[in-house]
Amino acid sequence: MGSYFSAERFINVFPKIISCISVNFHIVLWSMLLGTILAIFVAILRLKEIPVVKQILGVYISFMRGTPLLVQMMIAFYGIPLVLGNVFMNLFGINLNRVEPVVFVEIAIVLNEGAFLGEIFRGAITAVPALQTEAGYSIGMTGAQTFFRIVLPQAFKVALPHYGVDFVGVFQNTSLVFTLGVVDVLGKAKTLGAATGHTLEGYLAATLIYISFSLLLKGVFLFIEKNMKNGSAPAI
Amino acid sequence: MSFNVQSFIEALRSAFKYAPVTLELTVITFLVSLVLGTVIATVRHYRIPVISQILGVFVTVYMGLPMMVALILYNLLFMTFYNDFATALNISTPISEINPIYIGFFALILGQSCSLSEAVRGAFRGIEKIQYEAGYSIGLSKIKTLYRIIFPQMVPILLPGMQNSLIGLLKASNLVSAIAVTEIMTGALLPSLLYYSYLESYVAAALVYWIIGIGIEVLAHFAEKRSGQYLRRINSD
Repeated sequence: MGSYFSAERFINVFPKIISCISVNFHIVLWSMLLGTILAIFVAILRLKEIPVVKQILGVYISFMRGTPLLVQMMIAFYGIPLVLGNVFMNLFGINLNRVEPVVFVEIAIVLNEGAFLGEIFRGAITAVPALQTEAGYSIGMTGAQTFFRIVLPQAFKVALPHYGVDFVGVFQNTSLVFTLGVVDVLGKAKTLGAATGHTLEGYLAATLIYISFSLLLKGVFLFIEKNMKNGSAPAI
Repeated sequence: MSFNVQSFIEALRSAFKYAPVTLELTVITFLVSLVLGTVIATVRHYRIPVISQILGVFVTVYMGLPMMVALILYNLLFMTFYNDFATALNISTPISEINPIYIGFFALILGQSCSLSEAVRGAFRGIEKIQYEAGYSIGLSKIKTLYRIIFPQMVPILLPGMQNSLIGLLKASNLVSAIAVTEIMTGALLPSLLYYSYLESYVAAALVYWIIGIGIEVLAHFAEKRSGQYLRRINSD
């Protein structure tokens, strides 16, 4: 057994792998930021129920829910250069075939999150009682004012627990990106394993890193949830 | 380079041929983890000393582990230790003859049991104490109360979440392609190994997954309608 696993190699390999966590967080932060913005638009458009847009969004959400993220990533990776390659070459002089694969991963996750977070936000907005909207109107606020000042802050509180779970989920999903050749935590573990011939230490290090950061993120969101009063009166 | 319909259809055909593998992975994993998850949740609900604490820590930690990492780690552990294990137990099957799908089952079942146990635990909270007392009052034992009174009432509470976890599992089963199991995605990729038509293959795979996903949604919709029937009956009386 000693020949398979050595603590010395593990200690040696651990810092090299954990330094790649920045790649994962880069993906998580960018895709969550853009995904949240997209999701707010999706949620508002879904609630407005505009005839054609509604059906298109329905198909979009159904596709994002029904197909695995890995397949979506691959379609983004192979499909975007094929469809938009010429346009980008002529307009901006960018060769999409030379763009880093991590960009396509982020596009896929942003589109995916747009659907999932969009549903979360939609649920949260509908969870705010209609009474609150009426209260806003009754003191003479316009529709937009009521939405942004009264409904959205309350919806935010409803959505937060789900948002936290989703955030951790996205972090865990970044473990798929190594299949596209992005060197993240798992990708680094794999390359180091291939280079040294000792794979077990690297993967164990990756496992530890993923578990601890997931739990950490979960803890952070629980902390925010606990401490966020958001204008509501303390329970007596 | 453009979208080739011919290779798309070929990929679609190949993907459908391997759909049973994905379905098998999804359905068997779901059923086994439902049982395991219920056992875990019951143990934790009754706070059986030591075991419930161990399970609590295990579930919390294991939920932090991405499925992909788990799969690759188990695959590696299996590859590394199988020979020692086999000689110790006098198993004569060589490692090359063991289907890697079993590693997939193992990883999926473990992960899914943890998340389903959390769902079942939530459902336990949705059932009032009176229901247990009603069972005890007519002389049912603890276990009989559980599976005759408590579990049936948990079904309508659990169903909406089950639909999501079943679709989640369908998508998670896609990851076993990383350990060389041929399922829908790798199946769809087989023709592209000849023609380099990757996009067509992935679109075909997405389509097959989508169809199965919609199928699950329709089934879940029917199940939800049916399972709520007794509630309506009580309310209308």
